[in-house]
Amino acid sequence: MDGTAPGHPEGPYVLNLTRETWNEHLDRASTWLANVVTTQAAFRQALEIAVPKVEEPNIRRFLSEMLDRAQRHEEVAHRLPRVLGREAADGARSLAGTVMDVARKALDTVEGLAGGARGNWKDLHHLLLLNLDAMGAFAIAEQLGLALAHAELRDLAWAVEAEKSTDQLILQELMLEMAAVAILYGEKV
Amino acid sequence: MLPRMSRASLEELKALPTPVRPRLDAADVWVPDGYDVEPVVAGLSFPCAICFDADGTMFVAEGGSTWPTRPYMTPRIWRMSPGQDPEVFAVENLGGPRGMSVRDGYLYVSVKGGYHMRVTRHDLRTKERVVLVDELPSGGWHEPGGPVFGPHDGLMYFSNGSVALQGVVVPEGFTVDLAKHPHAHDVPGQDVTLTGNTVWARDPRLPFPFYAESGPFQPFGTAVTKGQVVKGQLKCNSAVWRSKPDGSDLELLAWGIRNPFGLAFGEDGHLYATDNDFEEKGERAVGEDPDRIWRIRNAQLPPGEVKEPEWFGYPDLCGDGLPLWHEKHLPIRGKAAEPFLADPPPWAGPAAYLFEPHTALGKLAFSRSDEFGHRGKAFVCQFGTYAPLNSNREKYLRNGFQVVTVDFEAGTHEPFMRNRAGGPASATPGSGGLERPVDCAFHPDGRSLYVLDFGNNTANKSYVVAYAHTGVVWRITKR
Repeated sequence: MDGTAPGHPEGPYVLNLTRETWNEHLDRASTWLANVVTTQAAFRQALEIAVPKVEEPNIRRFLSEMLDRAQRHEEVAHRLPRVLGREAADGARSLAGTVMDVARKALDTVEGLAGGARGNWKDLHHLLLLNLDAMGAFAIAEQLGLALAHAELRDLAWAVEAEKSTDQLILQELMLEMAAVAILYGEKV
Repeated sequence: MLPRMSRASLEELKALPTPVRPRLDAADVWVPDGYDVEPVVAGLSFPCAICFDADGTMFVAEGGSTWPTRPYMTPRIWRMSPGQDPEVFAVENLGGPRGMSVRDGYLYVSVKGGYHMRVTRHDLRTKERVVLVDELPSGGWHEPGGPVFGPHDGLMYFSNGSVALQGVVVPEGFTVDLAKHPHAHDVPGQDVTLTGNTVWARDPRLPFPFYAESGPFQPFGTAVTKGQVVKGQLKCNSAVWRSKPDGSDLELLAWGIRNPFGLAFGEDGHLYATDNDFEEKGERAVGEDPDRIWRIRNAQLPPGEVKEPEWFGYPDLCGDGLPLWHEKHLPIRGKAAEPFLADPPPWAGPAAYLFEPHTALGKLAFSRSDEFGHRGKAFVCQFGTYAPLNSNREKYLRNGFQVVTVDFEAGTHEPFMRNRAGGPASATPGSGGLERPVDCAFHPDGRSLYVLDFGNNTANKSYVVAYAHTGVVWRITKR
């Protein structure tokens, strides 16, 4: 039998699901997603600056492979607003233009834990922070995918988040492995 | 942005903007001959509870942080009164409402969040919120139940599920958020002596996944010794209590119920509690444990007359009363369980009803209406399995995802609401049907049953995700 009822004369209620409301949600989300591009581009460019300076062959290989992934992740970051039917916000493009400065400043001036250490070991620490920032941005994109009931957005963001989580472990490991010789002996990476 | 509840047509519900639930269509839902089904509310985020006032006002609670704990959406209670626009009646803090009842001008709510479960009372006129019962140990996996009111004594009955997923806090319970609640643990309702058995698991909180040893009734990473006694507490978990409606004279009726999420009194006067089976994964895995409904006999005793709380088996017995380590319950994935209790209390089973494993029982309601039919039977929400996450047995992959009627006297159950294609709507491309029934309530006019559908909550072999704005209220009306 067909158990479908004729329905309430005024129709069912929908919560925040009208086109107007939903479009507002999508606009807000896609505007925020510019941050994913910005943070990921900063990380990628910091890697581009850091890799040529690395002399230790194993670390250079680890970081070169990470750079390949970072370029791929940045392409995904650009796709995120598009899966919501939006173009990347203008702000993202203009922000991306300043990313190089951000990355260079991060590598050249941020002291933090690396303060006082000589050589390029401190680059590893800075990459750790920049990757954390970008990884968090992808994780937030995943949350937006879940909140917007949008599996494609969620899946794209989560897949990158998972790879960047592994990259974070690698960066931490490299930074810690080289910490003692960088601080005590002033060795370069 | 303020939440906006507006009217839509049934046709508009067939083209929703939410990609994981793009359409609602009652034609994809089966109900028995003589009944009609229709969606009446869509777009809810992680709804957990529904109830009615005597005038037909419907309350619906959105759960906030649920299963898994992310994303957190606003935990709030909607009031939908006849002839009036829906309004946000109350907003809870981190965590969220899990159960509700209306009585004598107040809305009573069980709430989860932080390290404690609590029961609150909201004045329907002024919206003033008062905490009636607090400090019930929580912060882990399982859920509060109730509150409901005893038809025979007017007392308030409520419950609180276990912190641990499998009798001991381990990383397998990843969505309990070990980082947020590192001190959370189970508390027994009676003194127990431990065997000293522990489990070893990797600690995901540390820079490297060091090994951690954990015992029952302890925070993660705390071992126990043979003969160690853990004192029973009035404010325990895996438990059912009653109190006066103002929260005073708290009395423990039962413990050892893993997840007493659904509580309801039957027309026979008995209090029934739904409960979920152990999972077949991780460091203390259990196979083929049936889902069950317990009958709480202590609820029949006069107030203050409970000498010993009933014990229903957690953390050592399955729903059938067999130990977790019995050969019938050996897992095909994960490490088999070992005994935790050296001196278990007498078992208060057998269960009033056993279901297939991994139907994932939600809440239940009893028909008290000749007009609606099935009078005296329980309408039980089967939320639906998390397989292949919580068991990798192929046969469980579509268990649940329906509402069933249970005739306790006859020992039978029948489907009452399910998708024509079976399983959740999201498993059938193009379906506009049911996802996961979590709660149900009869309208006071006795003609309709309202079924709360949690929404898209998809599990795979590694994890589970939940999508906001996909919860629905369905109405089933006798023609």
